[in-house]
Amino acid sequence: MGEIILEMKQIDKSFPGVHALDHVDFAVRKGEVHALMGENGAGKSTLMKVLTGIYSKDSGSIVYEGREVAFHNPREAQEAGVVIVHQELNMVGHLTVAQNIFIGREFKKGVGIDDKRMNEEAAKLFERLRIHIDPTETMSKLTVGKQQMCEIAKAISHDAKVIVFDEPSAALTETEIEELFKIIRDLREQGLGIVYISHRMDEIKVITDRVTVMRDGCYVGTLITEECTKDDIINMMVGRVIYEDPKAKSRVAPDAPVVLKVEHLNAGKMVQDVSFELRKGEILGFSGLMGAGRTETARAIFGADEKESGEVFVNGKKVDIRTPQDAVKCGIGYLSEDRKRFGIVVQKTIAENSTMASLKRFMKGPFIDKRQERTATQAYVDSLATKTPSVDQLVVNLSGGNQQKVVIAKWLIRNCDILIFDEPTRGIDVGAKNEIYKLMNRLVEEGKSIIMISSEMTEILRMSDRILVMCEGKKTGEIAIEEASQEAIMNMATREIQV
Amino acid sequence: MQGMKQNSLVKKIGINRIVLCGVLLLMYALFCTFIKGFFGTARIMNILNYAYFLGFLSLGVTFVIATGGIDFSIGPVMFCAALISGYCLTVHGVPMALSLFISILVGFLFGVFNGYLVAFWNVPPFIVSMASMNIAKGLASVFTKTQSVSWPQAADEVNGWFRGLVKVNGFPTGLVILLAVAVVCAIVLNKTHAGRYILSLGSNKEAVRLSGVNVKKWEMLAYILCGTLAGIAAIFFVAAYTTVQPGYGDSYNNEAIAGCVMGGTSMAGGTASIGGAMIGVFIIALLQEGILALGFNKNYQLIITGLIVIVAVYVDIVMRRRKN
Repeated sequence: MGEIILEMKQIDKSFPGVHALDHVDFAVRKGEVHALMGENGAGKSTLMKVLTGIYSKDSGSIVYEGREVAFHNPREAQEAGVVIVHQELNMVGHLTVAQNIFIGREFKKGVGIDDKRMNEEAAKLFERLRIHIDPTETMSKLTVGKQQMCEIAKAISHDAKVIVFDEPSAALTETEIEELFKIIRDLREQGLGIVYISHRMDEIKVITDRVTVMRDGCYVGTLITEECTKDDIINMMVGRVIYEDPKAKSRVAPDAPVVLKVEHLNAGKMVQDVSFELRKGEILGFSGLMGAGRTETARAIFGADEKESGEVFVNGKKVDIRTPQDAVKCGIGYLSEDRKRFGIVVQKTIAENSTMASLKRFMKGPFIDKRQERTATQAYVDSLATKTPSVDQLVVNLSGGNQQKVVIAKWLIRNCDILIFDEPTRGIDVGAKNEIYKLMNRLVEEGKSIIMISSEMTEILRMSDRILVMCEGKKTGEIAIEEASQEAIMNMATREIQV
Repeated sequence: MQGMKQNSLVKKIGINRIVLCGVLLLMYALFCTFIKGFFGTARIMNILNYAYFLGFLSLGVTFVIATGGIDFSIGPVMFCAALISGYCLTVHGVPMALSLFISILVGFLFGVFNGYLVAFWNVPPFIVSMASMNIAKGLASVFTKTQSVSWPQAADEVNGWFRGLVKVNGFPTGLVILLAVAVVCAIVLNKTHAGRYILSLGSNKEAVRLSGVNVKKWEMLAYILCGTLAGIAAIFFVAAYTTVQPGYGDSYNNEAIAGCVMGGTSMAGGTASIGGAMIGVFIIALLQEGILALGFNKNYQLIITGLIVIVAVYVDIVMRRRKN
């Protein structure tokens, strides 16, 4: 390990309602692979976005190669030699490999583009990486792994000194990961500073030299990889402090009727052979890391996406759900993780949104009975304590928590007994969070049943009666709340992941 | 808005529609002042004749634009409907009442075709309507063997009665019918669940779908309404202008869309105004009469309506950005 090439000191960044980075320190040395770890929402990506100028920092300083810098956009960072290789690749499929690598800075020959020279230069880059890719091949014909190699070639073509890998192995096969590691080791030999963001505990042990852990926007600590165990890292990630008391025991009687039963559900790569039962009055927590397939499972059950196979039973009766319409008829309501895109129609009023799923009930002959619509909506505005001057308010003017309540009202007005809450408190401030929690508890007391997808460990432990854990599209465990702990869940959530 | 208490009537009609009305009256006043003999019933009747068919087209396309879609086939579909039904009437001797029905049916079928492709096959509305524009033109030419069709004059004892749809003894019955249909459209759009879903899916289709609403059905319905109204527009076109020629009609697309977006219907979908579209249509009709009266030919009108669409859409974009 060499001298420090990049140092981020006391970086602070707030978004409305969220303190995303709280005076975070982070340093990368030449010739090291430095892992950046933390739960979803810990602030890893935000930190890297601040580094490369996608976000501006509120305070703190970034010292790169001995002088203070402030990149205004990724391009500036790139030109200075700080490059991110993203999880999602930014490649133009129909161009060749070389054309992609030199996009935006093509070699010119008169007025035209000098493809020959670009191919030669690209070939040199691949030689340096010791990999075999034909620069004239069309990008879309390459495997994801090879495309990523091209992304790396593009990075080093900028004379990169610091390369950030954002979950590089997520889409790769085992052999591809090995090849990737070979390249990363080579780059380390050449004295580059590498930041490696990943959830895969085993990879961290194999490839990295040091580990920095973040939690809730704060810097927790830095360890030397060789000297620590997987459990050390997990402990740092989840923290020993639990803000809210986890639920001590399930309130659901073991013989409560099963309201929803899913058997061998398959839908693409993200949902593989998922089976579970949901009992009346239960909150079933779906835990796992981002991209574990929880949302995909929910969407497949709800009919929002096509499923390949599997059976769904509602109240013991087999149902065939192909569209959201079918699901709603079975009494299933889905609250999306992305309210703005999938939950609400922002330019419509609270009343119009609240009756969206049950408009037929508010018809008087061919016309909508707007008075009845308002009365019904007002009742839920009152009982859910939605903060709004009137039910005629456009939902765009509401805060996140109140928008969430409008979506909940929509399903309650529809009389749905099975509710799927997908990240119900994402982007909601602490006060409103507690209200949503109380509301969920009230709903199950009234006999509704809830599936709660959440990436927040404390939320899972506080709300669930039982916890189902997924990893990479598979169910990797199911645990009663009495036996659950953050460590146990995190272990299951990373169980399938192997190098 | 503090201190200035807004009149509820003003609020209900909408400030931009009142401004638009002002623009309409101002333009009329200007034309009357600067063009000799513009004032008077003859010009008014010309303007109304133009506004009738354009009004029906604009009403229809308002539903489609409300879903966030677009229909560039309405003009040629109107011509196609007028040609096929007129050919049936004049060559095959089909009775007048049935011919009028055929006209509406042709429009309806094009609406079903466009709507099905957009809603169920997810073909972009732009592509679908461009294609069916050409299909409408081609179909009309094939059906009529590229002959123009002339509908009966008012003096025709058997079939002349249909002219009463636009004018009876100098009374503009067409205006009454147009406004009545507009009122029905406004009710459908604002008071029924069809209108609610059409507007909502124009604003956020995925959220409406995930509420368990059959979005395909309602999206298709908008295109069917649009096509059917184009079929009705055809009747009012021939009742005013008698003769239709195959191969034309596209210029009316732009004019109908211009009327619609001028009236406050957003090309982004989700907001629509039937009343605004009506005022917009009258502005376009007045403009074309004024341009002709000034001695310019139809080409200048194409330029102006083209510019109007761009300006109206740009204003909408700016307003939206300001809102966010």
